[in-house]
Amino acid sequence: MPDYDAIVVGAGNAGSAAAITMASKGLSVLLVDRSDPPGAKNLSGGVLWGNDLAQILPKWQNEAPLERFIQDKKIGFLTDKSSIIIDFKTKIFEDNKVGHTVLRSKFDPWLAKKAKEAGAVVIPGITVESLAKKDGKIIGVEESGDVITADVVILAEGINPRLSIEAGLREPLQDWEVSVGVKEIIKLSPQKIEDRFNLTPNSGMASEYIMGNLEELNVGAFFYTNKDSISLGIVAPMEQLRENGITHTYDIIEQFKEHPSIAPLIEGGTVAEYGAHMIPEGGLGMVPKLYGDGYMIVGDAAGFGFSNGLVLQGMNYAFLSGILAGETAAEAKGRNNFSSDSLALYRQKLEKTYVLKDLKTFKDIRKVTGNRSMYTTYPKMLESILLEMLWERGQPKKKIREILGSCAADLNVGKLKTATDFYYMYRRM
Amino acid sequence: MDIKERLGKTKYDVDKSYAHITVDESICEKCPHHFCVMACPAQCYTIQDGKLNFQYEDCVECGTCSIACDQGSVKWTFPKAGKGVIYKYG
Repeated sequence: MPDYDAIVVGAGNAGSAAAITMASKGLSVLLVDRSDPPGAKNLSGGVLWGNDLAQILPKWQNEAPLERFIQDKKIGFLTDKSSIIIDFKTKIFEDNKVGHTVLRSKFDPWLAKKAKEAGAVVIPGITVESLAKKDGKIIGVEESGDVITADVVILAEGINPRLSIEAGLREPLQDWEVSVGVKEIIKLSPQKIEDRFNLTPNSGMASEYIMGNLEELNVGAFFYTNKDSISLGIVAPMEQLRENGITHTYDIIEQFKEHPSIAPLIEGGTVAEYGAHMIPEGGLGMVPKLYGDGYMIVGDAAGFGFSNGLVLQGMNYAFLSGILAGETAAEAKGRNNFSSDSLALYRQKLEKTYVLKDLKTFKDIRKVTGNRSMYTTYPKMLESILLEMLWERGQPKKKIREILGSCAADLNVGKLKTATDFYYMYRRM
Repeated sequence: MDIKERLGKTKYDVDKSYAHITVDESICEKCPHHFCVMACPAQCYTIQDGKLNFQYEDCVECGTCSIACDQGSVKWTFPKAGKGVIYKYG
């Protein structure tokens, strides 16, 4: 008899969601995390969309340690001197309150506590050293020479999946599969946050930017309001960092903070924490085999995330994949069959939801997000167009068509190239 | 703000008896790019007197260097139980 029905490695959103799902269905579950308190190694940009969380914790909006609900969502382009921002503020967000900023070091221990309340055994501060195998099947985990066994192991080890790689369940990650996220927490009083961003005590703002002010790199940036702090950071594709070869990741975030439209927003704030985390951006191409004899892979470890340059999501994919793996384990327990064939149900469930549907729909998104023009030329072009239209300089006015033509010529952009870029955006974004 | 000063804001429980990442100096010596120096967000990799210098104490365990190093020098393991970075905000 194995020690547990299921062992979950990693108490992030995916792992804890899986543990809650299985424990609620009566399985004996061990949830281990290498940090104590659980989740203290975890880091996100910080916007959580909770539709899936509601499936397992219907009262999450009242109980979870949330920062502010997203009332105001902005997407913007930065150039050296300008920012061009679409500011979407809606009563719909206010009525639904599904998107919230969170701080993972507060949120994740709460979620792990919910797993414990559901009946899982939660042990933080355990670093699993390897997966235990027998006859090609995963039968448990090893730590300090001990083997703890289970019918199924759920790997929720995150974007740096050492155990999966070591056990040969996936290839080592490559440049094109990840971006490097660098983040800072800037302390700012609630009063200042609410005044500066036109917010109420519970409402919040989430902005994502394309940094068109970096000549050689396609970097995105984010800026989110918490209760009494700002979460801000940058997301830089590894492929481009390598190709560029002369830019320190820790300097890019400084360039973001020093931008003329960002610096005043954090004026008077103090840095409270600095951190970094990789982000899965390889799309469908980076997803490993998601299950096998005695195991399933969930969340970041499975490469589940979405990014199109302006939208960046991962926690929702983590919740849903964790829940579906948990359901699969419970059904496998009913059949008393934890073979690869039985656990294939996990993939079938994922195929029916947005997790794999999104990755399939946007399988060619890197042709857009990897396009340098999207980050350098087009923000500058937008800036030139707006300057022509909105800046009175005592010159004769031009029609939009002429403005477009002259701006494209100034930036040395060919019509065919532009048409092709927009065609790809239209087709793939 | 200097990176060292920013890293100073982050909490760690450094394991003085175990380096969870090691590099093979003989490989680093011949490395054509030292991309790790640019990629690591925690400035664990620096060039000193023309040689690669590595320290694991400031590591935030993102795993970037395990991909950045394509020469086979970086050996990446998780820190021992509970050691390493401890985010207060995350």
